[in-house]
Amino acid sequence: MSRINPKFGKELKKYGATEFGSCYNCGTCTAVCSLSTGEDSFPRSMVRLSETGNEEEIAASLKPWLCYYCGECSTNCPQTANPGELMMSLRRWLMAKYDWTGLSGYLYKSLTATIIAMVLVAIGVVVFAAYEKFDMEVIMHSGHMFEMLAIAGVFAVILIPNIARMWYFTIIKPGKNVSFMKYIKSLGEFLIHMFTQKRALGCDDNQKRWFEHFILVIGYLTLLFTTVFLDWFGSESIFVIVLGYVVSAVIFVVTFDFVLGRVKKNKEVSKHSQPSDWFFVIWLLLMGVTAFAVRLFIDLDILENNKWLYLFHLAVLAQWALIIVPFGKWTHFLYRSFAMYFAKLTVV
Amino acid sequence: MQKEPTTLSFDALVIGGGIAGGEAALNLASNGYKVIIIEKRLSLGGKMIMLSKVFPTLDCSACITTPKVSEISRHPNITIFTESDLTSVEKRGEHDFVAKVTRRPRYVVAEDCTACQLCEEACPVIVKDQFQYNLVGRKAAYIPFSIASPKVAAIDIENCTLCGACEKVCPPGCIDFTQEPRDYVITAKTAIVATGFKLYDPSNVPRYNYGEAKNVITSMQMERLLAPTRPFHTILRSSDGKVPDKIAYVLCAGSRDDSLGNPICSQICCMYSIKQAQLLMGALPMADITIYYIDIRAYGKGYEEFYEQAAGMGVRFVKGKIGRISEKENGNLTLRYEDLASGKLKEADHDLVVLSVGVKPNSEPAGLFTTHKLELDSLQFVKQSDPLLSPAKTTIEGVFVAGTATGPKDIPDSILSAGSASTEAICYLNQ
Ligand SMILES: Cc1cc2nc3c(=O)[nH]c(=O)nc-3n(C[C@H](O)[C@H](O)[C@H](O)COP(=O)(O)OP(=O)(O)OC[C@H]3O[C@@H](n4cnc5c(N)ncnc54)[C@H](O)[C@@H]3O)c2cc1C
Ligand code: SF4
Ligand code: SF4
Ligand code: SF4
Ligand code: SF4
Repeated sequence: MSRINPKFGKELKKYGATEFGSCYNCGTCTAVCSLSTGEDSFPRSMVRLSETGNEEEIAASLKPWLCYYCGECSTNCPQTANPGELMMSLRRWLMAKYDWTGLSGYLYKSLTATIIAMVLVAIGVVVFAAYEKFDMEVIMHSGHMFEMLAIAGVFAVILIPNIARMWYFTIIKPGKNVSFMKYIKSLGEFLIHMFTQKRALGCDDNQKRWFEHFILVIGYLTLLFTTVFLDWFGSESIFVIVLGYVVSAVIFVVTFDFVLGRVKKNKEVSKHSQPSDWFFVIWLLLMGVTAFAVRLFIDLDILENNKWLYLFHLAVLAQWALIIVPFGKWTHFLYRSFAMYFAKLTVV
Repeated sequence: MQKEPTTLSFDALVIGGGIAGGEAALNLASNGYKVIIIEKRLSLGGKMIMLSKVFPTLDCSACITTPKVSEISRHPNITIFTESDLTSVEKRGEHDFVAKVTRRPRYVVAEDCTACQLCEEACPVIVKDQFQYNLVGRKAAYIPFSIASPKVAAIDIENCTLCGACEKVCPPGCIDFTQEPRDYVITAKTAIVATGFKLYDPSNVPRYNYGEAKNVITSMQMERLLAPTRPFHTILRSSDGKVPDKIAYVLCAGSRDDSLGNPICSQICCMYSIKQAQLLMGALPMADITIYYIDIRAYGKGYEEFYEQAAGMGVRFVKGKIGRISEKENGNLTLRYEDLASGKLKEADHDLVVLSVGVKPNSEPAGLFTTHKLELDSLQFVKQSDPLLSPAKTTIEGVFVAGTATGPKDIPDSILSAGSASTEAICYLNQ
């Protein structure tokens, strides 16, 4: 039995979708979407479910994650119902739904709450530094420890339980029967998607965006690896140092292009930027820039006199690790990869 | 060279010689008023004279339009200017309109032409035939179409090479290359705007591939393929002569679509597509006909039954708007759509696709009135100042409007509105 919730539209508006109510069910969006298939036809079906407020089926659906927001559907919708933006909003809504803490939805809907959280984290960093009497040695060491702990903690406490919930909503609750072997066999698909997001290539005219995404994912993971496991800031190895410079520069260039796109709004995908989108790209940019600068200052031996830079970097990092990664747009990437995996599980 | 424009006086000036303008003129003339019709094309009859049969009665359009048109052209109170441009209409006061009109030359003396078509045979120039919606060719010396009124040849001077072949063969010697445009000043006591509608141009929608894929045609082209005076005397794909057996209709092509700047329903395309489907079933009994629609709008008397009749005959109705049409190597077409019944994305192959193009406004009349403003509505159709109680009134007193100039209409509604416009005009004349 599916329940209809007429108020759902109002709720969804808070996640960005405002025009889907004008849809007259023509199916043009589905027909022009290059990622829609006979088995997984969207976005019209999702517009319909949203219109009727069928939350249960939306929560059980993986379709929002199969869309890469090329915007074709919105460009061609006869009712300017903006189905592409609806799909984006559903991803945000799902993110909130999967999140057991409820913070994702709260932070998403309230910009003030997000800013307060960001400020609190920054204050925390400064207070900690003051507590350590601004001893660079100690702070940098703790910063490094913090990174490892934060990653492990966020995964263990937030992300893994959330993915389990996603699995519950989309596989278990709808009663889909999946054998153990299938879970094993589909793992390959999961890894490929996780690292390449290759599905986005199916979108028309999307090659450049896909390539940038790919570089970004690889760059981001490498930077994480270099700073956390190779201890970039503490390392003496010339190889590690150069590697760090290269990947942070790459992240800088690619994110800069993304920010530019959002400012120029030249593509459908970048026309409707929400605060969460801005936080994501700007913090990514800041991470690349500050990491680069910190290492540069170390190499020039001027970090001691410019402690603020490291503190700034640490604050950005902490905000990223404690807010954006667990509750923000970063999780899209994770959920999307799992959605691809789960979708594969149910294909007979 | 004509120096002074000729001055003529009438009771009523009718702008546009389609079925609405013709009917309004006939009503006025039958009540004893003198009427002039200004038509910009070579023939009276507008779109209707080009149609095959008409819904919902399936009367042959030519057979009902031709008698009407000849009644109009034979009426002693009606003067007809075809191939004429109305350049301005001034209102100097109540019951006092002055219009400037230029008659373009046909290069044929209309009174003498017997429509023997010998000039057509002799002419060496072949160009696309606009009256057959480019399905076939015509000569530079030509009779517009077989039931044109007046049925008189014309020389298409832009494409004519001035070889003189037609002049040599014309038995009455009525071809005259020295003809020049003639200017007229026409006074009238009232005016009726009946400038009709424009067809939506589907090449604005690259997804439909119209103009690129050879076997994607418009509904107007299909009307010509089906008409008794049709170019091929059978239904075939003009690209390769193959008789189609899987025909698709794409409804709302260019209508009800914000993204294409035409948000309204064209009101006629559901019905004429259903009509064409029935005619095709008669002409090609083995063919499969599928109509892809968003909603079927069968709103008039007998229309729902007409729709059910088509479904009963075996026309397939599929709910889902066509999103993309792509051409295959053999000229067949693949249509991509979401089948709303199952909610699944599907693809279907067809060998002929008809785009049921919609109604676009003809905003020309707004520019004609110089002293007073003939207002248009937000969609660029002629604005009705009192749409509920006096639907024929415009924003200029003494100027009335008939037919599709105010918005999409089928023939019965166009005729009704012409009746209303002529009645209002008569009331105004007697004020
Ligand atoms: C494919 C198709 C099939 C159809 N089938 C049916 C059917 O089966 N049954 C039915 O009821 N209806 C049908 N219709 C609708 C029908 O064609 C219209 O209702 C009807 O033609 C409207 O007549 P009208 O006189 O208002 O306009 P029009 O036919 O457009 O006539 C307007 C006339 O005004 C002239 N004109 C325009 N501007 C000027 C100007 N500035 N100066 C001078 N003259 C000008 C034009 O040249 C034209 O002759 C069909 C329409 C289409 C497109
Ligand atoms: S194209 Fe627009 S109107 Fe049509 S089904 Fe999709 S969202 Fe609805
Ligand atoms: S944005 Fe692109 S991928 Fe997403 S539903 Fe629309 S057309 Fe499909
Ligand atoms: S112009 Fe002359 S040759 Fe041509 S149709 Fe008329 S009478 Fe015949
Ligand atoms: S009449 Fe039918 S086909 Fe034409 S615009 Fe309206 S709904 Fe679409």
